[in-house]
Amino acid sequence: LLTLRPAPGLEERITTTVIARQDEFERAAMPHARSLLRVARRLAADGSAAEDLVQETLLRAWRSFHQFQSGTNTRAWLFRILFNAFYAHGRKLRSAPVLVPLPTPGGGAESDTAPTISPLEATAILRALGELSAEHGSVLLLVVVEGFTCREAAEILALPIGTVMSRLSRARGALRDRLEGGPHNLRAARAGTEYLEKEAS
Amino acid sequence: VNCQEVVHLAPLYLSGEIDATRAAAMDAHLQTCPSCLHELEQQALQDSRLREAVHSEVADDATVIRRLRESIAECKGHQARRRILSGLRRRWVAVVGAAAMLLLLAGGSWLFRAPQIAEVCADAANDHRTEIVNKEPRPWLTVPAQIAALAERQGISGGAVVTLAPGNYHLDRARLCYLDRHVFLHLVYSDGAKEVSLFLRARSGSQQNPSGTEEEGTPVGRPDVNHAHLASFETARLTAVVVSGESPDAALQFAQSVSAAL
Repeated sequence: LLTLRPAPGLEERITTTVIARQDEFERAAMPHARSLLRVARRLAADGSAAEDLVQETLLRAWRSFHQFQSGTNTRAWLFRILFNAFYAHGRKLRSAPVLVPLPTPGGGAESDTAPTISPLEATAILRALGELSAEHGSVLLLVVVEGFTCREAAEILALPIGTVMSRLSRARGALRDRLEGGPHNLRAARAGTEYLEKEAS
Repeated sequence: VNCQEVVHLAPLYLSGEIDATRAAAMDAHLQTCPSCLHELEQQALQDSRLREAVHSEVADDATVIRRLRESIAECKGHQARRRILSGLRRRWVAVVGAAAMLLLLAGGSWLFRAPQIAEVCADAANDHRTEIVNKEPRPWLTVPAQIAALAERQGISGGAVVTLAPGNYHLDRARLCYLDRHVFLHLVYSDGAKEVSLFLRARSGSQQNPSGTEEEGTPVGRPDVNHAHLASFETARLTAVVVSGESPDAALQFAQSVSAAL
């Protein structure tokens, strides 16, 4: 009397729904795959680990995409998942080998504008970035490289905005130390620390 | 603002998040403080170089996207199957729930339905055979006053049940019993040699005559059960069954006298 068969048309309706969801996901999330990969390469041990990290990020995003509310910041949402996945894996050894292409006719780098730094300089900067702690590297990547505001970075990293600001100041100083070969701007560092301590008290 | 605050607010200033009032204050300070101006310019320049360096890296996302689409395709199959199974489960839950509800309703109506006279008569005949003919031991009330009190508690006139005895009979004993899952008062009248059983139950007002075929209050003879002769009647207030071993007429006459008295 009672057979275990789906209702007529149920399979078709579900398939249609899932396909529509994938289309929406492709439109919303896939354009950010490259910037996710760019940041992941700075976080993960190597290119393969970075691809795995982005793959996991996007797959997690797909699985919870039905909960995603359109109109919210997709990019920030994806980066939040990326950092969650990164921290969930115990902050794998970072960072990736520096792979700066030699300049070729027609370009190859992602920037639309003409490069103002040499490949050698880019290599030095990336190496210095790789030497920073994960906390400092993360805020630099999010705010400076990816253009998130401090407030967005704070949400992505689940940190107070004050922490992001102080980390950003220290990360900039630490990067400059490495690029210039020594402690820079001790006055600024000292002044910043004193100010933060005063605010905290 | 002073130099310390400029250092602290530099991240918000460079990311454009600072409010207009503070931005104006910082601009004013930078115009008068070459050291802070230089520091912010250096930070901005370094940011620009960092951005350019990271963007100069090759970030080929084609492999990631291809692998992701494969994973999603696999995931979609799981999701579709899960949703179909979920739909089936919901349907089964609905079907089982409806069946349970029907059973509950059927069970409830069976449990709470009024006694059916045919069932009552069959059970009365069995009780009479077991307790009266075969004389299996049962606790009985034999004191007329106690029997009258028991009858009163069942909503039946206590004085009447004592005086109902036909001819040379007298009320011998009484007890409560279950007929068709309902409590009846079982009265036994005796002439010293023969015994006749009268089963009585006061009916609630909402219970209708279940048989629906008998004229209300008129005793009728019923088919014999196990050599026992039966007669019964039902009124709005009472269900009565007489079981006699003597004859069908004796059973019917007794039922008629009970009907007249009650």
